[in-house]
Amino acid sequence: MNAIETHDLTRYYGTLCAVNRLTLSVDREIFALLGPNGSGKTTMVLMLTTLLLPTSGSATVSGHDIVRSGQQVRRTLSYVPQDMAVDIKLTGRENALLFARLYGVLNPKDRVDEVLAVMQLTGRADDLVRTYSGGMRRRLELAQALVHEPEVLFLDEPTLGLDVAARATIWEHITALKKDGMTIFITTHYMDEADRFCNRVGIITKGTLLALDAPSALKAHMGNDVITARIDGEFRDPAVDGVTLFSYANNEASYLAENGREALPLLADAFIKSGIRVRSLALREPTLDDVFLHTVGKSEEPVGFDQTKFRTMLRRRK
Amino acid sequence: MKRVVWYIERDFLRWVRGKVNVFSSLVMPAAWLIFVGLALPIRFTDNYLDFITPGILVMTMLSAGLSGGTLLMFDKILGFFNKFLALPSPREDILFGKILFTSLRGLIQATIILVIAVLIGAKIYTPLQYGLTYLILLLFGILLSAFSTTLVLYLEDHDSYAAVNTMISMPLFFTSSALMPYSVMPDWLRIVASLNPLSFAIDAIRAADTGAMPVMQIGELGALCVIVTGISVYVFRRVTV
Ligand SMILES: Nc1ncnc2c1ncn2[C@@H]1O[C@H](COP(=O)(O)OP(=O)(O)OP(=O)(O)O)[C@@H](O)[C@H]1O
Ligand SMILES: [Mg+2]
Repeated sequence: MNAIETHDLTRYYGTLCAVNRLTLSVDREIFALLGPNGSGKTTMVLMLTTLLLPTSGSATVSGHDIVRSGQQVRRTLSYVPQDMAVDIKLTGRENALLFARLYGVLNPKDRVDEVLAVMQLTGRADDLVRTYSGGMRRRLELAQALVHEPEVLFLDEPTLGLDVAARATIWEHITALKKDGMTIFITTHYMDEADRFCNRVGIITKGTLLALDAPSALKAHMGNDVITARIDGEFRDPAVDGVTLFSYANNEASYLAENGREALPLLADAFIKSGIRVRSLALREPTLDDVFLHTVGKSEEPVGFDQTKFRTMLRRRK
Repeated sequence: MKRVVWYIERDFLRWVRGKVNVFSSLVMPAAWLIFVGLALPIRFTDNYLDFITPGILVMTMLSAGLSGGTLLMFDKILGFFNKFLALPSPREDILFGKILFTSLRGLIQATIILVIAVLIGAKIYTPLQYGLTYLILLLFGILLSAFSTTLVLYLEDHDSYAAVNTMISMPLFFTSSALMPYSVMPDWLRIVASLNPLSFAIDAIRAADTGAMPVMQIGELGALCVIVTGISVYVFRRVTV
């Protein structure tokens, strides 16, 4: 029995399909769901934590059906929502203690001391959360979820807005939890984290799971070399055989090439011929970022940066 | 049961730490008591303060009960409710926590109103009569907070709850027997007032004040509480976001 098992899990909001027939199994690993904004990651987490009913399909968490046995499912999981929710009128310790008690932890006071120490909040534990910084609140939020030692831990963008040191601490802790046999299901926008710490990742766009594998396997599957070109001024794809453009953003064009070393001079020539000014060309191995852009890009045409739209948006915000 | 206590403890700490809240909810009923109870020239009784006090007590419980909805609405908006719903603790504990906290807070406020009433000249009753008054107020508070917290589950934002809140509370108060006896009411008001749940609690307290035992009324109020709370538990168990 896998810790998380979904079968054709689907959720509609009205006519909008937020999660589309997602089939997945996750067990005793760190699994990351990656996807652009609005791709259905949070919706997925909400269904698995029994907060949202699926429109169709089924799922089990620790062997319990998420629709029929909500109470049993909740007994086995901890959940950290995307939006921070810590009580600013309570102290850090009070916040954590409430959850320790509600989870039914043995020796809640000691356990709270432990998790606050892990999240490096001991020094400020008895201050009101009102006086905490954003990152400290996020750490407290994690401390609340970790007081309980669940079978499955759901983290919706746990490292959002944290500094490098805090992110490292949290990943160290999550990795240790996984070693103890916990299943960790996270969503994130940080590809480097997913690459370094997660055993498997799933890439989801518009509710559909497009790729599912270990980061190294996904990178290897892309196979080819990646060439990035920094462009000055206007950009047109000069179309070179054996070289395919898969993303263009911030004046940087990324190409997949069968054989990078050979493609490099060809591409440089083509740029010069079509009068495009290239500042630099680089050849490297694919990263998870590339896999992500490639996978997501295939499903929807890359949208160029729209200057006028951006300006009206800025004006509206004033 | 212990979990309910922890939910209450959380709301209690938040309440006492918001220094303004503790007193702001008392201003309205105290003002009614003093300005209307003492100052209004009334002919049907020579002690209007004694007449109006049960009405003001029930009014205090009414706003206390409806504040249960406000508390849950903020939990919902700020994301606490989601986190609580995902906990292994039975979901109805959240409901019981809110009901008990708001009802007990209402009783504390009612006590302060009662003390003010006595200080400005209201009659003092026997302990049994006060006991009955508190029991009626408690049942009424439970009824209202169960109703308001459950209603909030179906509403989207705080504005819509605030609208519902004003839409019910003021008309309910003015069309009850709080301000005048049935004998001096116009016919249409008498009918409305006799159907009003507020009058139900007010009349029960007045009956207790005259020395009667309002067993029927307390029984009916209790039954209503059980029914409404039962429905609320059912709704809370299956709530999704
Ligand atoms: N309550 C709701 N009502 C209607 N539509 C919703 C609701 N919640 C989410 N959606 C829509 O469902 C889609 C998926 O949303 P979801 O929050 O799951 O995305 P996400 O992958 O978590 O995005 P992000 O990375 O921005 O957090 C989006 O198009 C969103 O607009
Ligand atoms: Mg999200």
